Amino acid sequence: MSTASWNGKVIFHVDMNAFYASVERVHDPGLEGVPLAIAGNPKERRGIVVTASYEARAFGVKTTMSVRDALKKCPHLVIRPPDFDKYRAASAEMFQLLEDYTPLVEPVSIDEGYMDVTASFKTGKSLVLAQELQKRIKRDLGLSCSIGIAPNKFLAKMASDMKKPMGITVLRKRELPQKLWPLPVEEMHGVGRKTAAKLNGMEIYTIRDLALYSGIALKARFGLKGKKLHERANGIDYREVDPEAANDIKSVGSSTTLAEDVTAKAELLKVITYLAEKTADRMARKNVCSHTIQLTIRYSDRKTITRSKKLVNPFFSAEEIQRQAVDLLENYWNGNPVRLLGITALHVIPKQEAYTQLDLFSFLK
Amino acid sequence: MHFIVQREQFVQSVQHVNKAVSSRTTIPILTGIKLNVTFHGITLTGSDSDISIESFIPAADEERELAEIKEEGSIVLQSRFFADIVKKLPGEEIEIFVKDQFAATVKSGSVVFNLNGLDPEEYPRLPTLEEDQTFSLPQSLLKDMIRQTVFAVSTQETRPVLTGVNLEAADGILLCTATDSHRLAMRKASLETDNESLEIKNIVVPGKSLNELNKVLEETDELVDIIVTDSQVLFKLERLLFFSRLLDGKYPVTSTMIPDQFKTKIELSKRDLLQSLERALLLSREAKNNVVNLKSLDGRQIEITSVSVEVGKVTERVDCTELDGEELRISFNGKNLIDALRVIDSDVISIAFTGAMSPFVLKPADHEQMLHLFSPVRTY
Repeated sequence: MSTASWNGKVIFHVDMNAFYASVERVHDPGLEGVPLAIAGNPKERRGIVVTASYEARAFGVKTTMSVRDALKKCPHLVIRPPDFDKYRAASAEMFQLLEDYTPLVEPVSIDEGYMDVTASFKTGKSLVLAQELQKRIKRDLGLSCSIGIAPNKFLAKMASDMKKPMGITVLRKRELPQKLWPLPVEEMHGVGRKTAAKLNGMEIYTIRDLALYSGIALKARFGLKGKKLHERANGIDYREVDPEAANDIKSVGSSTTLAEDVTAKAELLKVITYLAEKTADRMARKNVCSHTIQLTIRYSDRKTITRSKKLVNPFFSAEEIQRQAVDLLENYWNGNPVRLLGITALHVIPKQEAYTQLDLFSFLK
Repeated sequence: MHFIVQREQFVQSVQHVNKAVSSRTTIPILTGIKLNVTFHGITLTGSDSDISIESFIPAADEERELAEIKEEGSIVLQSRFFADIVKKLPGEEIEIFVKDQFAATVKSGSVVFNLNGLDPEEYPRLPTLEEDQTFSLPQSLLKDMIRQTVFAVSTQETRPVLTGVNLEAADGILLCTATDSHRLAMRKASLETDNESLEIKNIVVPGKSLNELNKVLEETDELVDIIVTDSQVLFKLERLLFFSRLLDGKYPVTSTMIPDQFKTKIELSKRDLLQSLERALLLSREAKNNVVNLKSLDGRQIEITSVSVEVGKVTERVDCTELDGEELRISFNGKNLIDALRVIDSDVISIAFTGAMSPFVLKPADHEQMLHLFSPVRTY
């Protein structure tokens, strides 16, 4: 296959390794080499591990584990509360660095993104480019990352997962049967716990099983998602790297898993006030407002409900968000123990495009 | 119970009372329609406890026999099935009888339905109202008054009293008011009453009730008697009674909201303005805010504009028959204005403004019986 006639693409997936923990280390070099976990509410011991450094992972500390369990696994674990301002700043620097190489950078989350570096492939230097990028991120920002190189987003994402930390993995289409297919199907990006269980029920255990399964049958069982999964397992993914995707924010919100299951309303109201402030803060940062507010309640049996409410006038203040969220709570909370609460402002619009309809009664003298 | 009834009459009555029946009621018996048969005729009742409708088919009217009553009695039948069944029966006549306790047989042509009914004794009694506060209106006028106000009621439960239309009567004038606190619709009419000192206040009829009532009212000059009490209102037609619960709470004073001094006044064709706003809304609907801007121009013209950041912009000049006063630029919810223009029957309308940040008044140019008030919108 000659480079000149090839019309495919080269996509990088850049995935920061133990991002929050790494950023903390940049700010506090004393943390270098020690097992470190970032967890909400470290003092209360009931918080949940958001990120664990590789040293901590060696002891069996995992993301979503409670602090108490993490300390059992690793008694000398150092725990830090998350500092999202710090992480956001580091993230912004990281993406700026990626944009030095190509304007086609699509941030996916705070610590990962895709790059379309097809142009560099034409000169046959994509691997060199990846090595340079990785070194620069380490040297300039003090952070380590893994990079996946593949002809599309899905394969790049799978590739970046194959070697961590500081890995560079090239996944070519012709290597799928050896490199991708042996993996259990639940390790495939886009397959969650529920989908994996359903697939296992159909005797699909590996990505190979999925790739060789009938695409029509998968579509019949899972709809469009089934078709997509089948395509991806066969290495097909037509999604473009879209630098605008992240700018198209549609909802802004905040949620929190409670330290323990809560049935006291006063306690829930306190959490709502906190979440409302958080949401208002994020909306202000993005300079948006919204007409639709949504409350998420997850009960202790993991049953989750979302209830929303459309308002005549846009909201953005913490007081208004708090008032509307409390109203939703009063209407829809069934009194059972609550594990998680979340507030989301849906379909946000730029504040300068928003109007408020004045209240006729407010003109009364 | 045993009777034979003209199909057409019966179907209409069933459909009328069925408007009050809700499938979501918490009282199981209310999912049914009650039939009560005496030698005078057949009475049908439907209710969701907020609205109750009773329709009467006399055994005979002046011209002909409508029903043949063979045996008196009553039964409650599931409305969901009964209403559809009678509509689809083939014959000119329907025969219904109850033999066993609550089992009814419905026959028409060669069709026989055997339906399980419910105990009519369990059906709640309709309220009996003191008739000391009573007035009358022609059906067609009441229909107009409902149509011209009810669209403006609030759909938000944050201020429940605003989900209804407020009725006020004094000095022989009936005043209906509806507002969702962003727009207000007001309609006046002269009353026919024997009670010279009739004065009613704060009678707030749920918008939903009036929408249902409007469907059973007809375009005739026949009078409707309206009887009000503290908690209920009854609309009494010749063969139909329509009861509605009233909304609790004090309706806000609205008369003081209407400005009496104006800075800019325009008069123009209703049709021209309506069509212009409909065009403008094509874009602002996309922006999901329905915002339309109005600007006064020299030479008796106004400019209507609307912008959607994504789609584009529309500008249009509309001729006025009159334009007096200060220069004006104002932004408002175009959808609200369209709603009001659609219920105005006059060809020419006037709009009076008191500045960009104050409410403005829309009226038909040829009479004073109707008024619409709107609040402007503002940006951040």
